[in-house]
Amino acid sequence: MKKALGLYAAALYTFLHLPLIILAVFSFNSSKFTVWEGFSIRWYAAVFHDPDLAEAAVNSVEIAIVSTILSTIVGTACAYGFWKRRDRLLSGALYLSLVTPEIVMGVSLLAFFQWTFRYLHWRLGLYTVILAHVAFSIAYVVVVVAARLRTLDSSLEEAAMDLGATEWGAFRLVTLPALWPGIAAAAMLALAVSFDDYVITSMVAGVDSQTLPMWIYATARRGANPSINAISALLVVFFGALVLLSERLRSSES
Amino acid sequence: MNRRSFFLGMAGLAGCTSSARPRLNVYNWSNYVAPDTIPNFEREFGVTVRYGVFESNEEMLAKALTGNSGWDVVFPSNYLIRPMRQNDLLAPLRHQWLTNLANLEQRFQSPSWDPDLQWCVPYMWGGSGIVFDRRLSPRPAAWSDLWSAGLRNRITMLDDPAEVLGACLKKLGYSLNSGQPAELEQARREAIAQKALLRAYLNAEARDQLVSGDIKAAQLWATTSQQAMDADTALDFVYPAEGFALYADNAVLLRESRRERLAHQFLDYLLRPEVATAIVKATRTATANRAVPESVRASPTLYPPPEVLRRGEWFEPLPTAAQRLRDRLWTEIKSA
Amino acid sequence: MTLRFWFLLPTRVWLALLLAAPLGVICAYSVLTRGAYGGVSLPWTAENYARFFDPLYAAILLRSLLMAAVATVLCLLLGFPLALFISRSRNRRGLYLFLVILPFWTSFLVRIYAWLFLLRDTGLVNTALLGLGVIREPISLLYNNGAVLLGLVYGYLPFMILPLYATLERLDPALLEAAADLGARPMPALMRVVVPLAGPGIRAGSILVFIPCVGAFLTPDLLGGGKTVMIGNLVENQFTTARDWPFGSAVSLALMVIVVLLVILFLRRGEEAL
Repeated sequence: MKKALGLYAAALYTFLHLPLIILAVFSFNSSKFTVWEGFSIRWYAAVFHDPDLAEAAVNSVEIAIVSTILSTIVGTACAYGFWKRRDRLLSGALYLSLVTPEIVMGVSLLAFFQWTFRYLHWRLGLYTVILAHVAFSIAYVVVVVAARLRTLDSSLEEAAMDLGATEWGAFRLVTLPALWPGIAAAAMLALAVSFDDYVITSMVAGVDSQTLPMWIYATARRGANPSINAISALLVVFFGALVLLSERLRSSES
Repeated sequence: MNRRSFFLGMAGLAGCTSSARPRLNVYNWSNYVAPDTIPNFEREFGVTVRYGVFESNEEMLAKALTGNSGWDVVFPSNYLIRPMRQNDLLAPLRHQWLTNLANLEQRFQSPSWDPDLQWCVPYMWGGSGIVFDRRLSPRPAAWSDLWSAGLRNRITMLDDPAEVLGACLKKLGYSLNSGQPAELEQARREAIAQKALLRAYLNAEARDQLVSGDIKAAQLWATTSQQAMDADTALDFVYPAEGFALYADNAVLLRESRRERLAHQFLDYLLRPEVATAIVKATRTATANRAVPESVRASPTLYPPPEVLRRGEWFEPLPTAAQRLRDRLWTEIKSA
Repeated sequence: MTLRFWFLLPTRVWLALLLAAPLGVICAYSVLTRGAYGGVSLPWTAENYARFFDPLYAAILLRSLLMAAVATVLCLLLGFPLALFISRSRNRRGLYLFLVILPFWTSFLVRIYAWLFLLRDTGLVNTALLGLGVIREPISLLYNNGAVLLGLVYGYLPFMILPLYATLERLDPALLEAAADLGARPMPALMRVVVPLAGPGIRAGSILVFIPCVGAFLTPDLLGGGKTVMIGNLVENQFTTARDWPFGSAVSLALMVIVVLLVILFLRRGEEAL
């Protein structure tokens, strides 16, 4: 069976990565249409010559990383709290955040922010985007970490406390180590959800917080060109490097 | 570098504000300026311009309606000018600061949506028509040609209720902006009849399908069609005989803006012949500026001759009842 | 103040501010009237909900629920073996997991364009099939329900795989060995040993796939050619081209209530995903 699984995995990975490969190949296409014409790096050149695009990409990365970290911490804590004892109301609220259509979330958050800003004299900015991203990412983290928690034995924590550990100690030394794969999976998911978000982001972004999806969708509206491929390919490489780097750091620390 | 300093650095970047130079925030459609347009303006006037792009009028309108969006100059389409006026979103323009206004084409000096140019400066305009493979026989020349069974599964229409219903209404001989239930009902029937022959409702994606040969004819905007034609000489474009839709994107100044003078300078800058020429050369869109040389404006697709233009009808804002009816009909058409 | 109190507090505060308040706004919008040129205005009215009670919209809702359900089942069937594979890998779990999610750290729109390139009549798939002589004429792979399902499954597979992995990773390989020792063949062993243990993961993954799928609008638009209306398209439309925010709010509130009810029914007591 192991062999069959392996073959299947290869096939499914191909399915998942095929668009990525196509995207990368066409980023080197000299024609702006999805018809191969010839090899060219003009789209990469265009990306590097466009400071607005670079800034949008940097904004997107910042927002994604910060909101992933925040939502992972908040979501993991919440899942742990649920594991101890249910909270129906909060569960319902989390389901609601998953169900709410993006445009609804975006429009209502915009209205809410504007209403509060009238009294606080604040403006929309990167921080409003991050706040919004965490709000809709928490549910994803909670669901994944909660699933992981279900496979753990709660009596282990009780045993630790019987032996004199505090609640926090029991969590940190018994449960948390067992949770890491779940937390890692949840964080990866949260990053994916946040990085590519367009609808909500476009509504609550301020003047200074143009993000990459906003740039991509505006460009696609007028007739896409492979510079969106180029910047996407560059970011895949960036995130890949980031993850590999943090893996190195982690394994060198331990 | 350890993790903490990395994150602090990122946070610092986020809080970074720009220099003390005066700022102008401009919110525009994608692909509407040349690469050097904004940098040149920044250099000449010693300012910083924040240039954002939006994907649709409604996205821009949602921001503008808050009254606190932060944008100074935005570019709505002509049928939004009156609604934005009604919602008190626009600041009146001071013509004494717009010395290049005379560069606009005659018909844009007093357009129907703003006869005195009190609120907007027309910027780019366009129409929608039929782009098709030259080898098709017979050559499409009217909207009714997109209903022909011979083109089954090889045609697309725009994914836009105003454009699709507009084409149906024109085919039936009615006005593009009709709100008459009887006329709209007929248009709905036409659209549903056509749907069986359609490959898809596509916007700019139709361009790629035309170039690759997947489709043979499409309802498409003139600017997008020009892009396709520039790459593939087997394609041609026609403005349908029954009439077609026209739109224009205009520069307006939002009332919330506190940089009136600078905004006017920017609008005046865009109207300069050399600036407009550079923009049009880069974007391949139709400008409202007649000071751009004829040689640059040579495309019959982007700049149709007057006798063709006469058949065009501008989009207009519609009353609530008509808007609602059209939306309902569009849902029915799409669900059919 | 127990640990649990502090752990739940951030979520409570965050959602109270950034979910409850905005949802309150939407509730208000849903009983207001469409502003003459966008936005909302008085008077208060219940007509938006009344408008929603229409066979046209009911059909759209049902179609969306069905499509989402099929996509969820497909994601489960396709994702489970891969999650199993990753969890049983000895050294490279992190890498395999990373490879699952990596494509999703790029723009979804750009990847859909890649699918359009692959699936159109002159695209790679048809060209390959024609070249191999399997078909004589290009087959229409795009702009139908199948293409939309493909797009949905493609877009949400990681949302199924990652939770499944999170639970399967705890699976002791000794269990399967024990089953084999007792004479069980691989497939039945899988079904009767592994699947029940992966229960929480299956429920979690199903929630994370089904719920967003119901509200999906980009995939039906691009891969379905805009020829069908899903409830997500309807809501999106109301807030954009139709500029009828009150009606859009009413539709989305109705949708949210219905989906939450369905989820509660599906999960039954004691087996919640949260």
